[in-house]
Amino acid sequence: MDFSRSVLDIDAEAEIIRISDFIRDIAHERYKRKGAVIGLSGGLDSAVIAELSVRALGEDKVLALFLPEKESNPVSLKYGQKQAQKLGIETIKVDISENLESLGAYENRDLVIKSIFPEFDKSYKFHVTLPQDLLEKDRLNYRSLTIEDLKGNRKKTRISASDWQKISACQNLKQRLRMIQQYYYAEKNNYIVSGTTNKTEILQGLFVKFGDGGVDIDPIAHLYKTQVLQLAKKLGVIPEIINRPPSPDTYSLPVTDKEFYLCLDYGLLDLLLYAYQEHVPIEQISSTLELKPEQIQRVFKDFKMKGHATWHMREMPPILDTQTKCPEV
Amino acid sequence: MDIKSKIRTFVVENFLFGKDAGLDEETSFLDEGIIDSTGILELVNFIEEEFHIKVEDEELIPENLDSIANVVKYLERKLGR
Repeated sequence: MDFSRSVLDIDAEAEIIRISDFIRDIAHERYKRKGAVIGLSGGLDSAVIAELSVRALGEDKVLALFLPEKESNPVSLKYGQKQAQKLGIETIKVDISENLESLGAYENRDLVIKSIFPEFDKSYKFHVTLPQDLLEKDRLNYRSLTIEDLKGNRKKTRISASDWQKISACQNLKQRLRMIQQYYYAEKNNYIVSGTTNKTEILQGLFVKFGDGGVDIDPIAHLYKTQVLQLAKKLGVIPEIINRPPSPDTYSLPVTDKEFYLCLDYGLLDLLLYAYQEHVPIEQISSTLELKPEQIQRVFKDFKMKGHATWHMREMPPILDTQTKCPEV
Repeated sequence: MDIKSKIRTFVVENFLFGKDAGLDEETSFLDEGIIDSTGILELVNFIEEEFHIKVEDEELIPENLDSIANVVKYLERKLGR
């Protein structure tokens, strides 16, 4: 079996044409819609989707939404605006902080954090992380909460399943509210909502069900993150976005995708994920990536656990009567 | 109820919804998809409250928590039994 460090290299130009054709076909032929709405987050994936959508539908048929909230990194908006300007597409900014306040997202979440760290208040920032020693040790995943005061002093502690579930439910409201706004503007304009989730995120469960997972089309869901990066370079996405460390951008204290959930850099993660999916022999992975077999086994166990924990997110809702379906369009 | 029975009862009630189906004490919770990583932390919470112990971060390893047998051995060491 062919497995090398370049196994994920793609013909970016050909893939750009293929995906652009796909977007056009789905929007026009399948859904009979005129254009696409994209939540432009200032990150790599949405920038690539915006580029591809313009190629597919034309710059006057792509609407970029900026959907910041009070805990978003300010550079996200700045980079998103610059990328949109480069493409010449229409943009609308909708700050979702008030929506989140009305749902009690911040208040309910902060109550949980305060029950763990009584000193926590609005002056503090926080984030949640997984242990970062996946290659080094046999260990189970557990979440740690870190708070930081105005002077930069930090405290960190492991949190219980119950506390994580409450914090996560509040945090996921951010992605779900963005979905609501995207569908509002899409339906107003007779557009589709384009997703921005990539294959690495889907396989690992790094998305929110009916949040950033609630879309009409997922044009890069077949590509690993490192392949999306190849497209970004070919498409001419702005360098600030290309060079920016990937982040969920949902925590007031900045955290990368690696620290929050993935535990590995995308370069290595994608190769191991590919090898796991394609059942590449451990010995071959070991010699190609210069990792010990036990390190690879640890990562594969992590993939299996995350896959089990998130499988329901990749499924359509079950239907009792399998005859309940529309005729093929 | 002894340690083994308490652990088995907790796992069956919370993750198998009452269906014991002959859960083997050596069965890996994670490999068989019986408990996911969040569920393991629920198990940790139960152990800490039920047995009045603190599970340290470095003790969160499969060897200590990934089957009924492993949990029992871990608790017996921790409780000095």
